[in-house]
Amino acid sequence: MSAAVESPRSATTGEPVATVARRNRLGIWLCIISDATGTVALLISYVYLWSLNVNNQWAPPKNAFADWWPFWAIVAGIVMSTALIWWGIAGIAKGHKGRLAGAAVLASLILIATLVGQIVQLSTFPFGPSDGAYASATFWLCLATAFHLSLLGLLVLAISLRTAKGLITTDNHSHARLVAMYMTWVCISAALGALVATTMLASPNTQMPLFGTFTG
Amino acid sequence: MSVMTRDIHEQAAVPQPTQHGKPGGFLRHTNIFTGVITGLVLAIITYAIGSKLVPWGTQNATFQQVGYQALIAATYVAWVIGFMAGIGAFAGPIRWVLGHDLTHADAEYMAGKGQGKFRYWKYTTDHKVVGIQYLIMTLVLFGLGGFLAMLIRTELGITWAEVFTPNFYNSMIGTHGIVMIIAMIIVISGPLGNFIMPLMIGARDMAFPRLNALSFWLLFAAVPPLVSNLLLGGIRDGWTVYEPLGSQSPVGMIGYQICIIVFAFSTGIASVNLITTAFTMRARGMSWNRVPIFVVGILSAAIMGLVWFPMFQYSQILALSDRMLATSFFNPLMGGSVWLYENLFWLLGHPEVYVVIIPGTAALIELMTVFLRKPLFSYKMAIAGFVGVTGISSIVWVHHMYMTGWAPSAGYPFMLSTELISIPFGFLVLVMLGTMWRGKPWTRLPMMAVYAVIWNKIIGGITGVYLSDVPVDQYMHGSMFVVAHFHFMLMGAGLFAAIGAIAYWFPKMTGRMLNERIASIGFWVAFFAFQLTFMSMFVAGLQGMPRRVLQFDNAFNVSNWLSTIGAYCIGIGMVIFLFAVITSWRNGKPAPANPWGAKTLEWQTSTPVPLENFPVLPVVTSDPYGYGVPDPYDSVEKKMAEADQPVGAGAR
Repeated sequence: MSAAVESPRSATTGEPVATVARRNRLGIWLCIISDATGTVALLISYVYLWSLNVNNQWAPPKNAFADWWPFWAIVAGIVMSTALIWWGIAGIAKGHKGRLAGAAVLASLILIATLVGQIVQLSTFPFGPSDGAYASATFWLCLATAFHLSLLGLLVLAISLRTAKGLITTDNHSHARLVAMYMTWVCISAALGALVATTMLASPNTQMPLFGTFTG
Repeated sequence: MSVMTRDIHEQAAVPQPTQHGKPGGFLRHTNIFTGVITGLVLAIITYAIGSKLVPWGTQNATFQQVGYQALIAATYVAWVIGFMAGIGAFAGPIRWVLGHDLTHADAEYMAGKGQGKFRYWKYTTDHKVVGIQYLIMTLVLFGLGGFLAMLIRTELGITWAEVFTPNFYNSMIGTHGIVMIIAMIIVISGPLGNFIMPLMIGARDMAFPRLNALSFWLLFAAVPPLVSNLLLGGIRDGWTVYEPLGSQSPVGMIGYQICIIVFAFSTGIASVNLITTAFTMRARGMSWNRVPIFVVGILSAAIMGLVWFPMFQYSQILALSDRMLATSFFNPLMGGSVWLYENLFWLLGHPEVYVVIIPGTAALIELMTVFLRKPLFSYKMAIAGFVGVTGISSIVWVHHMYMTGWAPSAGYPFMLSTELISIPFGFLVLVMLGTMWRGKPWTRLPMMAVYAVIWNKIIGGITGVYLSDVPVDQYMHGSMFVVAHFHFMLMGAGLFAAIGAIAYWFPKMTGRMLNERIASIGFWVAFFAFQLTFMSMFVAGLQGMPRRVLQFDNAFNVSNWLSTIGAYCIGIGMVIFLFAVITSWRNGKPAPANPWGAKTLEWQTSTPVPLENFPVLPVVTSDPYGYGVPDPYDSVEKKMAEADQPVGAGAR
């Protein structure tokens, strides 16, 4: 058997798929870094406005902050689907082709349910997006999670379809791994959002500035 | 750079996925025209349907029509989505989801094989095509920004009358600013980063060819919303569009915001591609101490863009949200803070200066060695310079906010960090001067650009050190002095470096030699006119003339007249240079593969560059700057000859 058959090659470039996979892995890391900066921008916005409480307008009307558990339920949904995909990848690496296909279908369903949950949370907040800085910052953290969930839903759906078609194999499952890496980052992103939105509620600043400078 | 070659491709042995239809599939039917038509149709439909649905009459806190704003935003978004669908950008992701993987024939079609010049109008993935597309786009943006600059200078030069209304004047200022910033960000990283960098490292293409096309066409889609702002009330608040002014502006501001959001995606994707290419696709033997300096410069700019652009993007997303959804990120009445906007904005805004300047500097360092026929002075110092600038650029943003009132106690640490960045930047200047030291320059147009840029950087750099000092900035901020300073850095160092770089790589990119006689005339006219324009502006600033005003005291008349005359002459110089570029591109003398006798890999392949770049992939065996170093084989032969001589021969 020739070396070309033993080592699968990319159909488009003729390179070993392991080489392409390494390249893709760096690419996804860089995408995660860029995405992380966006999440950091939202977290900075939240913490900045929370710490300042400009014009005493941080808290929503009647101090009606959002319930804590939906945030963490959504995080749990993403973590579960991510764990399923990693479990499926571990399976296909050992030759269990059906495991990744099944895990991806299940993960897709969980992600869809989580997305629905995210939409329900957004539409049932006890405040509107214009009810102060907390409401605005919380809305956008949730919108970012909803965007991530939509993207993950599409990616995981693709993994299940490609696995079913035999395009993701024991020898070449790098695409599933890339999706799983991105899902892991989304878990972290959603957890960070949930952490600030459920622990940083009432502003510690009792000497509210008028315009939002740290000099008061 | 010594080069051997090796063959890696055994394409015939690679099993192919099922070919669905003809190679290229859906992309056979798409091009820029289908993109524009689909974008316009979707935008018009969205506007027509939306205008029936939106609640007319509802006003927000700044008396803006809420429904109308939503309608304009939806129309812009429809344009972007429609254009991208029409050009075929979604074909790849859909095929991937459905499991219709590309065959080699698909990939070749998408790279433009056999499509002639029509490939420049399509969603083509070949890095050389994308590089040329970026070049044309950059020229268009410079043309637009330059035209607005002429109008601005006309207003300021005609001191006895008012040419434009104040609002339109301010809109021109803002539009000129952001158009030029976008053009300067892409002027090197776009055309040369895409065309030259993969050749320079011995790669067949960029790491992600489809993302390469995506990044360019996203940029293309982002520009019309920006330009259309002039018809919708304009950007009246400068390119920074500080809040709350931004929220109070007419709906033209939405065009700016959509443009930045889309452009940030484009830049992020391009950065991922450039970084991955530089890290993973270097030729065998090209270790990190053999990587050409230009590649390191592109890498630095891509890293800064990747990390910091999302901050700018989110500043605009949140500003749009404040405007459309009445959220309160930047509205102090509702708990927001205008300083939050300024922080998010300048977290990119300052590194962006280096995103502009670093690739140009790297290009000049690269070409200096060729025209001086000397090894690079201290390669490691150059690397330290790039790493230092990339790192420190992330901790200097507050110097743009000294006078805003935000955290005054932060001024002094940031003054220190801002002055600190001049050290790694000084390394780069030192490398340039060290390389020039005792050199015998071959003074062609690219080398002339080196002299011009060194001069401009000295002026821009020194005035920058003044402005980084809090006490000086208290007097100078918001004045024409600041305008002159950043034009010396962005245009004087950035644009003139880009001209030098384009002149250097013009033969490789176009297959023609640039008419240097005409191009040099344009270059020097523009250079001296540039000095007149902005030196006069320094004087106006020192006299106390504020920026962004169209009515001013007679004391500033003379400096403004001189600036306007200078600006027109810059325009004349640029037109002459453009004439040289266009005529040379069409009818210039065919370029040989390596007209400068350079050692980097891009010059070792044929001109025009074939689709696969190299017939066989190169293997690098030495560093790229071995100019003037004695050939080791010569010295071996000499030693052997000396060894053959009788003992004592030649001794006194």
